[in-house]
Amino acid sequence: MRYLGKKFITLIITLFMVSVAAFVAFQIIPGDVVTSILGTEATPEREEQLRAELGLDQPPAKRYVNWITDVLRGDLGVSYRYSKNMNEMMPVTELIGDKLPVTLCLAAVSLFLIILVSIPLGVLWARSRNRILDAALSVATQVSMAIPSFFLGILVTYLLGICLKLFTPGGYVSYRESFWGFLGYLLFPAVSVAIPKIAMTARFLRNSLLTEMGSDYVRTAYSKGCSDKRVMYGHVLRNAMMPVVTFLGMIIAEIVAGSIVVEQVFGLPGVGRLLISSISTRDFPVVEILILYITFVVIFVYFLVDVLYRVIDPRISGR
Amino acid sequence: MIKIENLSVSFGAAEAVKNVTLEIGAGEILGVVGESGSGKSVTALTLMGLVSETARITSGRISFDKETLLEAGKPYDKALYRKFLGCRMSMVFQEPMTSLNPTKRAGRQVEEMLRLHREAWRPQGSEASGGERKRKGRELPGALTERDKAEGEDIRRRVLEIFRAVGLKDEERVYESFPHQLSGGMRQRVMIAMAAVLRPDLMVCDEPTTALDVTVQNQIIELLREINEKQKNAMLFITHDLNLARRLCHRVAVMKDGRVVETGPTEELFKNPREEYTRKLMEAVPSRMRKYGGIADSFAREYMGERPGEQIRGRGVCGEMEGPGDTERAENTEGPGDAVLEVRDLSVYYQEGSNSLFARNRKKCAVEAATFAIRRGEVLGLVGESGCGKTSLSKAILGMNRDIRGSVVHHSPHPQMIFQDPYGSLNPAKTIGWLLQEPLRARGRREASFRMSEADRRAAAYDMLRKIGLPETYYARKPAQLSGGQRQRVSIGQALITEPGLVIADEPVSALDVTIQAQIMELMQKFREEMGLSYLFISHDINVIYQMSDRIMVMKDGRIIEQGDTETVFHSPKEAYTRLLLSES
Amino acid sequence: MEQNLGRRNNKYLAAGLVMTLLVAGVALLGVFWTPYGTTVMSASEKFHGPSLRHLFGTDNFGRDIFSRVMKGAGATILISGLVVSVSGAMGILAGAVTGYFGGILDEVMMRITDAVNGFPSVLLGLVIISVLGPGRQNVVISLVIVFTPSFIRIVRSEFIRLRDADYISRARMMGVGRLRILFVHILPNTMSTFWASVMIGFNNAILAESGMSFLGIGVQPPDATLGNMLSDAQGYLTRAPWYALAPGLTMVWIVLGFSLLGEGLRRTQT
Repeated sequence: MRYLGKKFITLIITLFMVSVAAFVAFQIIPGDVVTSILGTEATPEREEQLRAELGLDQPPAKRYVNWITDVLRGDLGVSYRYSKNMNEMMPVTELIGDKLPVTLCLAAVSLFLIILVSIPLGVLWARSRNRILDAALSVATQVSMAIPSFFLGILVTYLLGICLKLFTPGGYVSYRESFWGFLGYLLFPAVSVAIPKIAMTARFLRNSLLTEMGSDYVRTAYSKGCSDKRVMYGHVLRNAMMPVVTFLGMIIAEIVAGSIVVEQVFGLPGVGRLLISSISTRDFPVVEILILYITFVVIFVYFLVDVLYRVIDPRISGR
Repeated sequence: MIKIENLSVSFGAAEAVKNVTLEIGAGEILGVVGESGSGKSVTALTLMGLVSETARITSGRISFDKETLLEAGKPYDKALYRKFLGCRMSMVFQEPMTSLNPTKRAGRQVEEMLRLHREAWRPQGSEASGGERKRKGRELPGALTERDKAEGEDIRRRVLEIFRAVGLKDEERVYESFPHQLSGGMRQRVMIAMAAVLRPDLMVCDEPTTALDVTVQNQIIELLREINEKQKNAMLFITHDLNLARRLCHRVAVMKDGRVVETGPTEELFKNPREEYTRKLMEAVPSRMRKYGGIADSFAREYMGERPGEQIRGRGVCGEMEGPGDTERAENTEGPGDAVLEVRDLSVYYQEGSNSLFARNRKKCAVEAATFAIRRGEVLGLVGESGCGKTSLSKAILGMNRDIRGSVVHHSPHPQMIFQDPYGSLNPAKTIGWLLQEPLRARGRREASFRMSEADRRAAAYDMLRKIGLPETYYARKPAQLSGGQRQRVSIGQALITEPGLVIADEPVSALDVTIQAQIMELMQKFREEMGLSYLFISHDINVIYQMSDRIMVMKDGRIIEQGDTETVFHSPKEAYTRLLLSES
Repeated sequence: MEQNLGRRNNKYLAAGLVMTLLVAGVALLGVFWTPYGTTVMSASEKFHGPSLRHLFGTDNFGRDIFSRVMKGAGATILISGLVVSVSGAMGILAGAVTGYFGGILDEVMMRITDAVNGFPSVLLGLVIISVLGPGRQNVVISLVIVFTPSFIRIVRSEFIRLRDADYISRARMMGVGRLRILFVHILPNTMSTFWASVMIGFNNAILAESGMSFLGIGVQPPDATLGNMLSDAQGYLTRAPWYALAPGLTMVWIVLGFSLLGEGLRRTQT
């Protein structure tokens, strides 16, 4: 329990550090925000007014404190770029409100696919005595690991969408309209994100299984008269899964990144496009918030993996 | 009852077992003794059908009662073996640390044995098919019937019973424990409980005590004997330790290079070994005969020839020889300046828990107030079981542990250390020549007066290579190409090339086979005489200590509980613990 | 049995070597000579399919795709190579010191690498680019920042593993100096792990660089990289699928060749 407490504190500290880093990074960028919003033609009075409105006239430390307390209260600030109408600035909350679920759903569906496919595949591979199957899986995983997910997305679009017409490229269904239609549409992007990771995970699991199969307790189990199946499912699999859990936790960040990139390929309205455009238009309030969000999700998943690990591995939880 | 006939097993081109024939009668304990690589373990694993898949049975057969388990040319019959494994023959392995599944509770692992072989313990005819049905029931949660529950309780009762029988006192707690929560001895008891719970006809024990401390070792041997007497099962006891085989086994087979060299009833074989190798093996075992203890003993050795150690236990003979040795020691004590090392009130601490920022660090005492001195040319033996603080003490002496109180004064220039593990103590990335030169380079860099030319260093390294008994061709080899004994020679050479006054040897022979052990001890003794070295010689094996040392310290739980002349400590030990150590080996 | 295994190792190694050398050779050639100019447009030759004249066909401006792939692969490999060498060198230095000495410095360094590692690499690259502004050097700088922590981690854990090895304790007792222990005694023993991670790091760098240019935040057009070509090609998928396939498959080729090479080397070592 104390360990988890410690981990939780580390989580908070890391988030805090990321928020500071994000904030500082965007303070040192050359170029004045006010000028870039209003253009060079604006009157000094108008500039002063906007500066005060955005809170930019205060010292940086104070601005950070203001910003972070606002964020914690749920007020994520306003975008520099987008505006609701002539006089009102666009709150970041509204801007990312319905985009974030799309990205997170895509990442979640991908993770689900990875777990669903890679575990049976890894077990099958480890158990296979068939050289041809072994070689085929080996080549297939090597190749899939080499394909970047955005290229895979293009291939999927071309082969399944354009040639086989399994789905309409760009024909996105919002989750507000039909949740199942939405999930169905997410399937193909998720496949593109998942395939390389499935290959990696299956490989990892297979190696882990083979290592475990060589350990002493497996010999003990055989000496008791256990069958191959019983040894595999009763003894080895659980132990071999432990490093796999850590591994899955480690690639979470990559899955989120993959989701954001793949969104571009499939034209999904997730945070990916917003992030990219905010970066290129230097809309920093939006970028800062997105960074915080993504870091939070990733670090939180790390934390969950840690908890899960403690549940399934008695060697650690016993301490 | 069990017959291994003319068995040969090969791995690729290498033949690990050659035409081995062994027979084990009902209720008999057969010991198989040999050094590592002699094929004893492969024989046992082949008998159990557990040998790795790369092994090929090239000749012979194995039969159990009237059934043939394995025959050359026939494929390994898994189904047949499964009927025997567990219920009629079971195995206890060497490594209690890794032989249990780390993520299953100890009780569950023993239970599995009972669940796998219901037919072996349930009343005859009471639904043999019940097991099958039951197994299906277990897969569907919530489908447990009354009868299944009753069976579950029955199984649990039986497991607790066998836990008590193998001497696990707190059996309820052990049942719920994971292996890492149990000590090595307890784990080995769990393993034995697992192997014995179905009262098999044959138990194969592959070095079951090697990884354990001497006192625990002894208890396990007694336990095995007790099980053998109660259950009347046959045992195949595999060991490298002749003394153990002698204490437990009815008959003994000696193996070398995959062949059975000699077989016979234990006492007969030990009294009149027929084969040269058996005799050599017996002599190499460190016994209570001092081979190397200074002038007195080399004298004694000359007079007494090579009689087995056992007969010399009556120390009367040696007592008379003690004269010259005593005067030598007296000379040593005259000048207190003659000490190479003085340790006074030395306490060593270590931090418990992780070194994270958040952890509350607790200081633990590894060594408490140790006081002793080593004189020039003397070998001080330090004996104790694992965890007693031997290694902490030696590291503190060499300044590798800074968290100490008390004083350590060195009167010798560059004290060096030799470690137990021959595989870990040489840098795998370097050649032997480089390794032998490195101490010279290091010293040259520190002290200008020792700076040597490259050619001189090479010459010194070649010279040392010769002294440690390795051919010159080894100069360019890497440690991975050397055997354990050869590596330990290089370690010694590396420690001695800068001519230190004192060498601390931490279990230098414990990882080696007995015959190699004897050679290394001889080498160390040779250097001692040539270079006037002193050793702090650390071992858990009191016989090794006895052979090497002039004086002995006994350590327990961080304290030095007894200190004195080798002979005095051996003949009139003051402490109960020392007596225990002496009686058990 | 063993011989058999050896032959399979060589297969990995041979395949990886052939693939890598081929693409490296073509990319190197591309530095000095390409069949057509990479920016030469031709209205009459838009969207020609692969043929002998244009091996990989032409794009929406009638530019020769093969020439652009040659240049693009060269740019991608160069950037990734630079990133991995710089991060690797920094990783060795920082990892060796923090791993061997531990302490506060180590603790701080680990918190930082934790934070960086927790963040998806492409995204972190993007954020840094958004601070630095786009451009070739900035891509290298941002990727170095992204990749260095993982090298530090790997080298550090190797040094932690080895610093208490018996042979290192003995070297200390012989009076070998600290720097010599770090770089002469320990370092050679970490090399097999280090090279394995360099292989993986190189592949990740290629993927990250391509990802960034694909998203339009890496190397800017008209300079060709595999990523920005793929991004352009995406709009013409129905009309000219070869336009997307050429840079995409080249990317796969490079990564696959390198990972086969890595796998082959790993197997020959063990």
